[in-house]
Amino acid sequence: MVRYLLRRLAFALIALWAVVSVTFVLVRAAPGGPFDGERRLPPAVEANLLSAYHLDEPLVGQYFRYLGMLAQADLGPSFRQKDFSVNELVARGLPISLTVGGLALLLALALGIGAGTFAALARDGPRDRLLMVLATLALAFPPIVVAPALVAAFAVSLGWFPAGGYDSAQHFVLPVIALALPYAAAFTRLMRGSVAETLARPHVRSARAKGMPTRRIVLRHVLPSALMPVVSYAGPVAAALLAGSMVVEEVFSLPGLGRYFVQGALNRDYTLVTGTVIVYAALVLAFNLLADLCYARLDPRVRHA
Amino acid sequence: MREALLGTALARTCCAMLAGVVLAAVIGPSLSPWALDAVDWDAIDAAPTAAHWFGTDGVGRDLLTRTLGGARVSLVIAVAATLVSCLIGIPWGATAGYLGGAVDQAMMRVVDGLYALPFILLVILLVALFGRNIFLLFIALGAVSWLDLARIVRGQTLVAKNEAYVEAARALGATTPGIVLRHIVPNVIGPALVYATLTIPGVVIAESFISFLGLGVQEPQTSWGVLIADGTRAMRSAPWQLLFPASLLAATLFACNVLGDRLRDAVDAGAGGSKSSVR
Amino acid sequence: MQSRHRIAALSLAALIATLPAAADELRIGNGGEPLTLDPHRYNLNLEEKILADLFEGLTAHDADGRVVAGAAESWSTSADGLVWTFRLREDARWSDGEPVTAADFVYSFQRLLAPRTAASLAYFLYAIDGAQAVNAGTAPLDRLAVRAVNAHTLEIRLAQPFPFFDERLIYPTGFPMPKHVVEELGDAWTKPGNMVSNGAFTLADWQPQGFVRLAKNPHFRRASTVALEAVTYFPTADRNAAYNRYRNGELDVIGDFPPGEIGWLRRKMPDHLHLAPLLSIMYLVFNVTVPPFDDERVRRALALALDRELITGRVLQSGEIPSASFVPPMVANYRSAVTPMPQDQDAARALLAEAGYDADSPLELTLRYIAGPDNKKVHVAIAAMWKAVGVATQLHHAELNAHFAALRQGEFQVAQAGWFGENNPEHYLELLMSATGDVNYGRFADADVDALMNRAKQTAALQERLTLLRRAEVAALARHPVVPLYAVTIRSLVRPRITGWRANPRNTHPARYLGIRAE
Repeated sequence: MVRYLLRRLAFALIALWAVVSVTFVLVRAAPGGPFDGERRLPPAVEANLLSAYHLDEPLVGQYFRYLGMLAQADLGPSFRQKDFSVNELVARGLPISLTVGGLALLLALALGIGAGTFAALARDGPRDRLLMVLATLALAFPPIVVAPALVAAFAVSLGWFPAGGYDSAQHFVLPVIALALPYAAAFTRLMRGSVAETLARPHVRSARAKGMPTRRIVLRHVLPSALMPVVSYAGPVAAALLAGSMVVEEVFSLPGLGRYFVQGALNRDYTLVTGTVIVYAALVLAFNLLADLCYARLDPRVRHA
Repeated sequence: MREALLGTALARTCCAMLAGVVLAAVIGPSLSPWALDAVDWDAIDAAPTAAHWFGTDGVGRDLLTRTLGGARVSLVIAVAATLVSCLIGIPWGATAGYLGGAVDQAMMRVVDGLYALPFILLVILLVALFGRNIFLLFIALGAVSWLDLARIVRGQTLVAKNEAYVEAARALGATTPGIVLRHIVPNVIGPALVYATLTIPGVVIAESFISFLGLGVQEPQTSWGVLIADGTRAMRSAPWQLLFPASLLAATLFACNVLGDRLRDAVDAGAGGSKSSVR
Repeated sequence: MQSRHRIAALSLAALIATLPAAADELRIGNGGEPLTLDPHRYNLNLEEKILADLFEGLTAHDADGRVVAGAAESWSTSADGLVWTFRLREDARWSDGEPVTAADFVYSFQRLLAPRTAASLAYFLYAIDGAQAVNAGTAPLDRLAVRAVNAHTLEIRLAQPFPFFDERLIYPTGFPMPKHVVEELGDAWTKPGNMVSNGAFTLADWQPQGFVRLAKNPHFRRASTVALEAVTYFPTADRNAAYNRYRNGELDVIGDFPPGEIGWLRRKMPDHLHLAPLLSIMYLVFNVTVPPFDDERVRRALALALDRELITGRVLQSGEIPSASFVPPMVANYRSAVTPMPQDQDAARALLAEAGYDADSPLELTLRYIAGPDNKKVHVAIAAMWKAVGVATQLHHAELNAHFAALRQGEFQVAQAGWFGENNPEHYLELLMSATGDVNYGRFADADVDALMNRAKQTAALQERLTLLRRAEVAALARHPVVPLYAVTIRSLVRPRITGWRANPRNTHPARYLGIRAE
């Protein structure tokens, strides 16, 4: 187990290094630098700026300087948000992104597991059909459609929730729903399939034949193994949530990592882009590892693989 | 397979819907009296009328024409990106499956590893940095959506490589690349293409996200994501600018998902139930 | 949802700071996140707004955007226009109670121009003798001709006469610095809790991408006249989201809203709506170094094909002022002598035919513009107008940085550009001088224009100077290096209970003049 963990961590570090290098090269290869604006920069001023941020050094030197800083967990100064380091920005943006993304993932899991199990138990009945049509419908409404619609209905027209900001728990209700909906649908479909499969297994069928109450069968015999595909899917979903969370942060004016990333990319803020990409990649890698560990706990065969 | 596809009324409706969208996207813009970039100076931000069935946008361009033109771009990107993913995923999976052993192990570890990376960030970064280029967009999207395909093709290859004709070719001294290209790939390509179509809705969604963040195609071209992003901004005063493109996107995704389920069931039944993809 | 009505925060959400709401707090949607609150490093208009509430330069804006005395109570200019002497107020205090002295200004001007500060707007004060050399690192800091005669007298010597210098000192680049704080804390001095300022407000809190909160400065020289207890700036980058928040009662002032709403707002919320033309000029620039845009006929034809009124009246619809002059129409003292050129599609076609373009071999060009909903509309409309005279336009949009990087490197054919800020015609006309460098994006060069401009710049008498500038403008625009289009309109929504809001072409609304009426 320890060896397995170590190997995974080593792999994650290599993956992170690859992501850092690719991003580093990409942002610097692009046209337009962080200090291009509509107003003129006299050569003296530009030279001063470049040297203040070490951009006048050779690229290889900059690269190793950056790796050296990363090794000390320093993401560097932001080129555009001049009064903050990237560490400070991440420290402020991350809790917001984690709140929205984490709650959305939890909501999607809760809805998906519940509805999927329910549908499988009522398989091919009208309730199952209704749920599956709803799930397929929900899949067809990505956050770019749902988020503005929720704002229009529940913030603008009804005034039940705020349209943007992050001052209180209420501010998080609409973004979390908008983000969670399609993944709740995906989990529902997945869960229905795997619960149905488990229900058909001999030991579950015999338990049912013996008249064991459904609730106990589900909790004790069905869920542990039926959850496995859901757990292994949760890793990729965490990565997929990223894209959606950027849209949601945009629509609801949430100052999360996604906005820093998009703004940083558009403004050529080299360190901010690279920094947010690293944090995102680390999060996704960590979450995948966590999902795999859960999987191993659920399935003893994997534990020593 | 055809029966499984068209079995239910729902599937038939979806099939008709999808065919309608594709047909409208292909021929609609040329049937419309308005060009994609034609400005009707007397109908700026106009609600739907007899002249403009879907209304107009903020510069007075016909929204029906633009929605169909946007469908064209979104679908072309989706199909082209899927083709790119085939170009990478099929050879990758076939090679891994055919060679087996350590090579297979290594190649599939790479796939596993890539699953864990937030690729969409790199796609957004590419488009943000190098400009809104339709080719860049589908190559980038294709390059990140070949992972499922590689896994499936590998599975199919494992079955195919023990077939008699492959062994015969090997006995006759055919080279490995020759066998993979001439015998393995043609045999796995059918099911692989079916699975590839399942990635289309994912690409449509990814494209719409990127466009929504302001990184879509250049004017006067448009796409569903661009139209929806614009529509969101005019949501209160011109709701039709959001309603029509959003409905069309949702209807297309719905139809794709329903048909995708059918397709998957049909292939799984045919291939003896290999279940590896959840997307 | 009323933001005063808060329920217990979720455990995770509790990690995020919450905003206590005050009764006399003004909540402003500021259009974006300030990238710095260091007056020497700022670059954006939205930063300037916050900084103008925190600090006070020698001169300042009043509620109507006019130039009035700020930290200086009076000033005088020598006969040759070169030496400016400012008398500072003796009661001026920093927010920590220390007096504001001439030494603080000397320190600030030196810091702005020191190469190590890397101030991107350092050139704002290049008018001062020695400034350029100091900033380039070729002269020591004390070469800068700014001198503290005594604690309350500051003397500045210019390199050339510059009658608009008092206005130039309004920008944050001319603000004083609390030397005792900056020297002690270094770059960390702008953090909440560290920053000491001399304006009507102090920095209370700053959550990046969340909000910037200012609190009334009790040490401000006119603190008794400041009505607001607090001002909070929100980084509302998306104007649609900002508008939703305004309509939901979450914001008191927003500086922009979706333009499609204007009809509804005029009918239903006329007392909230403020439309004010901004001191600005939006224009198209031709790269005169690449064919066929080196051909004056082509440039003239493209200009003739445009209908400015259609763009402002139908597309933008917010009362933008069409302008044939390259100097914004509301610049005081300046009346442009350029004759407006109405749309004439036949003349445009004829000129294009003369230059060798017709239906069989149409002119094809790429028009670059800055990403954004309004820009998109305007340039789609321009492309449509050019299509009407047989020109095939390809549109290309990019973010501001990438756009201007391309322009400054001359990698374009025709492009959008804009210039705003000063009540000073030179500020705009300089862009057409060959010596201006890469911000003369089209690389336009005309010996007559250069000569007239240089003569103007050496003339201390204002009227004579303005006459020369007028002649330079006519000479330049006759060759169509640019097509002036319109002055931008600032579309603000301000709650009727906010007092003291006065529309003005500088779009400046210092919070010290605003208040909130009790309801």
